[in-house]
Amino acid sequence: MTAQESLALISETMNNCRRAILRNNSKGFFLWGILLTVFSLVIYFLWHTTGSPNWNLLWFAMPLIGYPLAALAYKKKDAVPQNEVGRMLGQIWAVFGVFSISISALAVFAVPMNITLMIVVLLGIAECISGVVLRNWPIIVCGAILGIGGAVAAVLLKSEAQLLLFTLGGVLLAVTGLIVKSQYR
Amino acid sequence: MFPKLDPLLHSELRLAVMSVLAGVESADFTFLKAQTGATAGNLSVQIDKLATAGYIAVEKGYKGKMPCTTCRITPAGVEAFDTYVAALKEYLSGGQA
Repeated sequence: MTAQESLALISETMNNCRRAILRNNSKGFFLWGILLTVFSLVIYFLWHTTGSPNWNLLWFAMPLIGYPLAALAYKKKDAVPQNEVGRMLGQIWAVFGVFSISISALAVFAVPMNITLMIVVLLGIAECISGVVLRNWPIIVCGAILGIGGAVAAVLLKSEAQLLLFTLGGVLLAVTGLIVKSQYR
Repeated sequence: MFPKLDPLLHSELRLAVMSVLAGVESADFTFLKAQTGATAGNLSVQIDKLATAGYIAVEKGYKGKMPCTTCRITPAGVEAFDTYVAALKEYLSGGQA
């Protein structure tokens, strides 16, 4: 091998490896995006038809379904390793998960507050930071629209209509997954 | 005077393995095989050579009931890889390898 060929091999291998890792990370966005969309629509429908906001307690079932599904999605025979960017994305969304569940639990059982406003802002921030980490402008813009626009909408919209913001968030997450997957194909 | 290239790294497959491991915490044998496009036998031989030189650490275990070999680059491997890349760059800036 010439020096040029060696450097080209190093660069190509590293690039392919990085792509494989980031492509693998798109699964998480897609999975949670679909789950969020489905849960928000189901809870919206139940709340709308019965008139009872108690159906919101179903949100607590989302992590119970989501985490085993995520574990299943990543448990493949040819396990893809993790790099710095993948790890950072995982940490961003883990922090989002902890904050969302804690704030929701506090709002339901201790200090009543506008949960939609809080969660939608957190969702927008996590999405925006993911875009920054991935250096992807469409994801940054999606996150900003969701976080800032969602905060305003969460105040203006009343009762079950607020749930449609989560539907939008879920769709944006799934779209983020598709963007990441196509970006690193 | 050009620096001498590390003969252990100046091999297509070994260099590809080191390039993969340089960017990740650790990697399974199957992932390395997929990324390098090598046969299992050849990859196994080259991994052994890199491990003997102390450039990578190999851990053999099980994932469920399946045997699983995990490789990670060692500090000595990182240093050798960096030195090799620096030497390549010097070759390129100064002429042909």
